[in-house]
Amino acid sequence: MSNNVWIKQSLRLLGHELRRGELTIIFLAIVLAVATVFSLSGFSHQIQAAILSKSTSFIAADRVFRSSQPIEESILAKSDELGLESALKLEMGSMVFANDKLQLAEISAVGDKYPLRGELLIQNVQGGVKEQKAPKPGQIWVEQKLLDILGITIGENLEVGMAPLEVAGVIKQMPDASFSVFTSGPALILNVKDMPKTELIQPGSRLGYKALFAGESDAIEEFEEWIKPQVNETQRWYDIQSSRSALSASLDSAEQYLTLASMLGIVLAAVAVAVASRRYGQRHQPMVAVFKAMGASQRHITKLYFLHWGLLSAISVGAGLLIGYVLQEIGLNTMQEQFELTTRVSMMEPLVIAIITGVLCSVAFAIAPLKQLVTIKPLAVIRGFEHNTFHYLQMLPAILALYTLLHLFSRDWLKSVVLLGGGALVSIILLVLGQAFVSAGRSVGSKSGRALHLAFANLKRRAKENSVQLVSFTIAIKLLLLIVVIRSDLIGQWQAQLPDNTANRFLINISEQQVDSVNQFMEELAIPGSGLYPVVRGRLTAINQDSVTSDVSKEEDKDPEQQRRGVGRELNLTWRTNLPDNNEIISGQWYSAEEDKAQVSVESGVAERLDINVGDSLGFQIGSENFVVEVTSIRKVDWQSLQPNFFMIFNPQVLSDFPATYISSHFVEPEKVQSFNRFLAQYPTISMIDVEAMIGQLRSVIDQVSLAIEFILVMVVIAGSLVLIAQVQASMEEREREIAILRTLGAKGSLLKNSVLLEFVCLGLVAGLMAGMAMEIAVYFIQTQVFKMSASFHLEYWGIGMVAGATFVGVMGMISCWRLLNMSSVTLIRRTM
Amino acid sequence: MNSESDIILKVSDLTKSVTLENHILDLLSDINLAVSAGETLAIVGASGSGKTTLLSLLAGLDLPSGGRIELKGQAIHTMDEEQRSAIRAKHVGFIFQQFLLVSSLTALENVMLPAELAQLPNAEQRAKALLEQVDLADRLNHFPSQMSGGEQQRVAIARAFITQPDILFADEPTGNLDSKTGLHITELLFDLNKQNGTTLILVTHDEKLADRCGRKVIVDGGRLVDDSAETLSKLRTVNE
Repeated sequence: MSNNVWIKQSLRLLGHELRRGELTIIFLAIVLAVATVFSLSGFSHQIQAAILSKSTSFIAADRVFRSSQPIEESILAKSDELGLESALKLEMGSMVFANDKLQLAEISAVGDKYPLRGELLIQNVQGGVKEQKAPKPGQIWVEQKLLDILGITIGENLEVGMAPLEVAGVIKQMPDASFSVFTSGPALILNVKDMPKTELIQPGSRLGYKALFAGESDAIEEFEEWIKPQVNETQRWYDIQSSRSALSASLDSAEQYLTLASMLGIVLAAVAVAVASRRYGQRHQPMVAVFKAMGASQRHITKLYFLHWGLLSAISVGAGLLIGYVLQEIGLNTMQEQFELTTRVSMMEPLVIAIITGVLCSVAFAIAPLKQLVTIKPLAVIRGFEHNTFHYLQMLPAILALYTLLHLFSRDWLKSVVLLGGGALVSIILLVLGQAFVSAGRSVGSKSGRALHLAFANLKRRAKENSVQLVSFTIAIKLLLLIVVIRSDLIGQWQAQLPDNTANRFLINISEQQVDSVNQFMEELAIPGSGLYPVVRGRLTAINQDSVTSDVSKEEDKDPEQQRRGVGRELNLTWRTNLPDNNEIISGQWYSAEEDKAQVSVESGVAERLDINVGDSLGFQIGSENFVVEVTSIRKVDWQSLQPNFFMIFNPQVLSDFPATYISSHFVEPEKVQSFNRFLAQYPTISMIDVEAMIGQLRSVIDQVSLAIEFILVMVVIAGSLVLIAQVQASMEEREREIAILRTLGAKGSLLKNSVLLEFVCLGLVAGLMAGMAMEIAVYFIQTQVFKMSASFHLEYWGIGMVAGATFVGVMGMISCWRLLNMSSVTLIRRTM
Repeated sequence: MNSESDIILKVSDLTKSVTLENHILDLLSDINLAVSAGETLAIVGASGSGKTTLLSLLAGLDLPSGGRIELKGQAIHTMDEEQRSAIRAKHVGFIFQQFLLVSSLTALENVMLPAELAQLPNAEQRAKALLEQVDLADRLNHFPSQMSGGEQQRVAIARAFITQPDILFADEPTGNLDSKTGLHITELLFDLNKQNGTTLILVTHDEKLADRCGRKVIVDGGRLVDDSAETLSKLRTVNE
């Protein structure tokens, strides 16, 4: 006979145990951990890549350098040296002429490679839409609106500055088109080579020079490190993250949530593996002792179990990957349309992370019980088996592994440490509390009925195991509650951001004379809106008599990116008697209508950047006129709300004499769109921005992400259930013995059932209560620190936790013990003796 | 009484003590015993007398505190766990009160186990033949939980004989069985023992079972008392 008997025995054991369902819990726990990690990290990897490519298309590049001066050659040379792609873009507002008509247009002069990211879609004269790079010299592309206003068609000439250029197409989609309601006119794209002909670049022209960059992330980062220190106050370096899009903010919190929820799912699955492997160790003790008594060497046993556990882990990891892959595909297919997942990113990284997760789970959490198992003495066949002694030091590999897993998944050491440290602290507190509860239960129980008395006696007798069980029940319930609470808060917040009547049209450039007819029309058709906001463009020139330039230079130690916004460019100023919706006064007071004094309310971000406080005086320049106003309030503005928002709001006395145009936002129902458009056709100078599509996109993204959140919730619930089942199963042998004894002593079936039920219900109830408390603390930190939301309390979830805990643990406990409770005394005795 | 060459197990001045919190408790002291090949020996004694401790030392499952144990001429008291494992695989068979079948293996696989560990050829055929001998030919693929106590012990007996051990240790082999089944098991055990010419050392409370053995020794308070009829009857009175 060959000496690889251990292989044969190991395979035989594994085959039987798998078929008999003895390894189901461990198998499921590993499968769950791997499937969760693989599907979610694969999924978010893919979605992230898609979102990134979609959102980088909002800036037409990976990074943008903007300056009021021409881009220096050294910058472009450095980008070439790093192998980055670059494209130039020059932006300005200018009048364009055709047919003796003139119109202000937003002119973009672009280099041949523009755009580097995203699609520039141009409709040609035949009506076909094609993706294009920059127009040929001599040709331009314009928005349809410009053609309508000027009354020309494709093929005709249009004068840009001094140069007549041929309109060769209509812009259908421009990746970095401004979403701002303050753009000065319809877009026009020309080739940068035509710029000299236009003679638009004159001393004093307001020009924005942009260099767009795209390339490998390493090269981009290196370039960023090089360029950032050189950026001065008239320049700006930005990526998509710095954009204020509501979409990116929502996706950001969704991603945070998914990462957090998956991390908690992994913790739960790991706990399930730990509990199940302890039981595995205990269940295999007699087997190992018998093997050894029959003469099996330590080496034989070690090899046998190494293979047994190794194969079990490999099968579980394999199944986990398969399930994870299927889930990921389902998820991606659902979101395919939304994210236009045309190219799939490599799944190598998620795959490796998932495999490491499986291996770490199955090794680190099982190493202590397995070590104890293989070293069991053969004398145990005579002397009997002991429960594994539990040393806290044994938890070290598990804790290290858990940290590694969390870090691997989140790439955020702080979050991992906080989650792990917080978890450990909560566990210790819960352990102490749990023991106190269990002890207190005994004295309560002794005064109660027989079933309750028995239940409490059981709880007390297994005080240590029960308090450990209590902790894992509590943690499982707590994490479930946490996920549910955060999920409803998050989704609730998103939905609040986009109520059904979210404004879908913005009107700008409404002249003073048009105000009445616009108002009248909106009233007639009952179209709700934000009301008209007058807009006057002006500059902030001084803060407390210090001119703004000197103020900025004093702020050199601050992040340069924060210095520029709000100064150095014209601001849109408005006046208003009432505080607008989604604005909140955080210091000072909103002015009352009667006051004559010149006052301004400043947006909190600008106030912070420029060190403006209530009581300060601000100098402004509108046209050639200068004036000074006092800051009487600082406002917090919800920039994600789809309505006109302003940095500076004055009281009417200050600005009402300046010539202003008006802007407003409206929610136009589909059936009113035609009338709305017809009305606007009468006023060609009023510009309308349709954000319907953007809102639709935002809504469906939120829906899809909510779906992903539901999915992770299900995963976490399964993980939590596994922990509970594994825990109940861990105490099964001992219960079996007890029930056998009680049966022999004549205890009625109903008494045993009631006492088992009560024992689990009590455990569940206490676990639910503690979970509610622990959840509240965790939610507070997560809401305020991770999601930057305002904290909210959820007392109702404490009750839900208790009821759910009692029901769930009670039902799981009863299901697990049901077979045992219905066995005849003889069978029970035979099984346990 | 025993010729030196026939002796399969020799115990001299054997002691076993354990250290409790503040004092040392002697479980066994001054045990001297010699067992000849093919002999059947019953170790009897009251509960807590030390007979099971003695069995575990004789079988090499535990180490003594003092004295010598020679099994097949090899001083097992000097051996480490691994060396003793090798000795057990080669020379020793076991039958336990709690049967101790591997719950995840079938009857056939349980019986094959020691043969595989001892790397004997044709483990499966041997196991099948033995299971047939113990009337379990139709239960080969049943798991222990699907069998009665008597059936499980018959599997355990088949398992004990598969390696044709030189010496078989049985710890209360009928202790968990009703008297009728116990009797059946006893018959089976002694029949197989006779067929294989195995040395049998069994620990029991059961006098009828002890009476089937060629020799009895009594353990009382950790010491070996002579096995004369008189002492036995004395002990019996004490036990009653």
